[in-house]
Amino acid sequence: MSDVDVARDLYLLLAALGLNLAVGYAGQPVLGQGAFVAVGGYGTVLLAEHLPLGVAVALSVAGAGVLGWLLDYGAARLRGAFLALGTWGLAWLAVAVLAAFPSTFGGEQGLLREAPARLVSPSLGLGWVLTPRTHVVLAALLCAGLVVATRALGRGAVGLDLAALRQGAEAAASVGVDGAALRRDAIAASAAFGALAGAGTVVLLGVVAPSSVAPLLSIQLFVAVLIGGTANPYGPLLGVGVLLLLPTGVGTERGRGLVTALVLVAALAAREPVARWLAARRRPAVPETEPAAVEEPPAPTPGPVVLDATGIAKSYEGVAALRGVDVAVRSGEVHALIGPNGSGKTTLLRVLAGATRADAGAIVVLGTDVTRLDQTARVRAGVARTFQDTVLFPGLTVREHVAVGARATEPHGAWRTLLAVPSARRARATAAAWTEAVLAETGLAGRAGARPNELTYGEQRLLQVARAAATGATALLLDEPAAGMSVAEVERLRALLRRLAGNGRAVLVVEHNVRFVSAVADRVTVLAAGEVVTRGTPDEVRADPRVRAAYLGEEVA
Amino acid sequence: MSVGVALQAVMTGLAQGAVYGLVALGFTLCYRLVRVLSFAHGDLIAGATFSAVLVTVGTTPVLRTPSAGVAVAQVVLCLVAGGLLGGLLYVVAVRPFGGELGWVAATVTAGLVVREALGLVLTREAYNVADPLRLPTRQVALPDGASFSLRLVAVLAIGLAVGVAVDRLLVASRYGKAMRAVADDADAASLMGVPTRRVVLLAFAVAGVLAGVAGLLSAPAGPVTVGAGVVLGLKGTTAALLGRLGSARGALAGGLALGVVEALVVAWPTAGPAYRDVLALTVLVVVLALRPEGLRASRRVA
Repeated sequence: MSDVDVARDLYLLLAALGLNLAVGYAGQPVLGQGAFVAVGGYGTVLLAEHLPLGVAVALSVAGAGVLGWLLDYGAARLRGAFLALGTWGLAWLAVAVLAAFPSTFGGEQGLLREAPARLVSPSLGLGWVLTPRTHVVLAALLCAGLVVATRALGRGAVGLDLAALRQGAEAAASVGVDGAALRRDAIAASAAFGALAGAGTVVLLGVVAPSSVAPLLSIQLFVAVLIGGTANPYGPLLGVGVLLLLPTGVGTERGRGLVTALVLVAALAAREPVARWLAARRRPAVPETEPAAVEEPPAPTPGPVVLDATGIAKSYEGVAALRGVDVAVRSGEVHALIGPNGSGKTTLLRVLAGATRADAGAIVVLGTDVTRLDQTARVRAGVARTFQDTVLFPGLTVREHVAVGARATEPHGAWRTLLAVPSARRARATAAAWTEAVLAETGLAGRAGARPNELTYGEQRLLQVARAAATGATALLLDEPAAGMSVAEVERLRALLRRLAGNGRAVLVVEHNVRFVSAVADRVTVLAAGEVVTRGTPDEVRADPRVRAAYLGEEVA
Repeated sequence: MSVGVALQAVMTGLAQGAVYGLVALGFTLCYRLVRVLSFAHGDLIAGATFSAVLVTVGTTPVLRTPSAGVAVAQVVLCLVAGGLLGGLLYVVAVRPFGGELGWVAATVTAGLVVREALGLVLTREAYNVADPLRLPTRQVALPDGASFSLRLVAVLAIGLAVGVAVDRLLVASRYGKAMRAVADDADAASLMGVPTRRVVLLAFAVAGVLAGVAGLLSAPAGPVTVGAGVVLGLKGTTAALLGRLGSARGALAGGLALGVVEALVVAWPTAGPAYRDVLALTVLVVVLALRPEGLRASRRVA
């Protein structure tokens, strides 16, 4: 194998390693890496006619990054399949554009550029000789650097965010992970590395043609990453290796396509069994210790109002779900929100959490107006929620669930992690200590190594509460946390909520279970048909005839 | 652009748009039922068209009008092959995969397999296919020396007739109602005794037949390649997105709109034929990237 071949394969690997960020880490099906390779290759040749080579490469790479970012700008709100469709369209658009404007892009033959023997920077008085051997070294360094950086990111706080995003965007948002931004950044970075690979290849070979950036390349790179597995920094090495070592059929383009299809089929078929095998190999998590004895909760000490919502109104397609609801939750209290089905309880909770926007009204958290903030920003402002259904991250351990929430409020961007700045290391240590504290507080420390499917139903429900509590949010919004729990599990939950309130949190609980409400709540607000019927202590509310009317449909005497 | 040239472009665009509309209709149908975006939809067109040609004419079709028997066989085979491929696509590439990544990769693979398998059998890059439907080709004169072929009118008429018929069937027939029930809530439909799987299978088969019709109408217009199927499929997808993935009528309207705009751009003196594929694919990418809220569809099939 000549140096040229090695360098070319290394650049292919670089494109796959870049794509790994979007596909393997952010979990987004990007089917258009070939288009970004084309942007890098053609952009470099065209720009280098007027600009120094280094500037041409940098501009092409930046352009591809911006293009990738824009591509996911709106699609971030949609399911991944739409992104797959958009990127697949881009892969074919690239080829269509190249064919449509032969005077610019050279048609089928593509563009030629004389491979420069020297890369010179007159102002700095530097000059490098770009031999194929130099390319091998350069491409190998780029690949190694990207692997090291990907590994560092994957193990750090950003890796946890990405894991949460892969496992469920909705749950990730509920603990303050800005999934849309993560997705966009991963795709932009992926596109930029694809373009860098394209630029390197064209400088190496001196030619770029449509056949070398065809949609088949996009599929092959996608397969290479898929073979490498999820969140594996070395995965693309295996994937690209498999693709390069495979016999290329009858040696034609067509044969290679069929081989790619077969590998793709095999990779898809093997995906589930391999994942199961890996899961089975993991040491089964045994219940390490029994939950600590429930300590006596401190006496309730209602503090200042933490969450103050006034005049909340919300309607869906003309049907009013909430009509001017006021609710205020104080620190140190458990506040129950009850009402018959369809009275607007869950809608109110979603509005307070920022999962949906109110038509009217104002929401103030700890003195800050959060009415216009989205869900992830509200988590930072101090509000976190749980779901009516148990929504967990199937692949993460209990400790990781709590850890995702724990660093939601800490600054932990990718650059901080990569550069290992002291503040990032300090934040990491703080988050780790806080994680352990929350595990202890919620009584889940004994199960820290277990994954959701190894937990009892009650423990899963508690973990949801723990994950929200881990964000450090002062106001916790819990949607029917006791639903489906056994008597013993309900008692454990009751003790946990009292403990959270005793530690100064403001807990708002949507609940059906009247006995549980009486046992846990300091105050109760009753909703019916989107309006507050009454509020007071559990005893007062129970005695109120209007509440009976709301539930049983009786006329108030 | 003179009036005659504009009229000519509109006629060409409407005929082409009816073909896009049929592809879009099948794509929309599949999406409404199982929320799957088929990446192999265009390959159904190529698969159906070339299967029929291969069986009836062979690997080196000669451009001459086929005998009546061959023509009928070609039409029937094209529709049947489309239906079978559509059903097969569902059984092999959609149903086994619960996760999104699974069916995205599987439908992409299925398309690749169709293209590659055809590529191994076919001996040439591009083929001229004779029109088995024998649509009239007489030219009709327009002002300013422009003209259009009567074939365009026939294609538009057949395309719209098939599209409207499918739309009516969705509203009126028993299976159409079952499809709408599955689209609204698959679990509830299943509980009410609707054979969900069979209904979805039927929808994919119908989408395949529609792809076959699209192939029959569009293939004789010029040299066809296997890769052109993908682009035609993506244009149908664009039309479906323009129709908001919601209704049969939306898909047909999206197809007609895309066809007319494309033909006008191609006829525009400063633009030209280079933009034929670039325009639709750009619309596809831009719609997906910047206006996804425009895709929020109403909960209806018909």
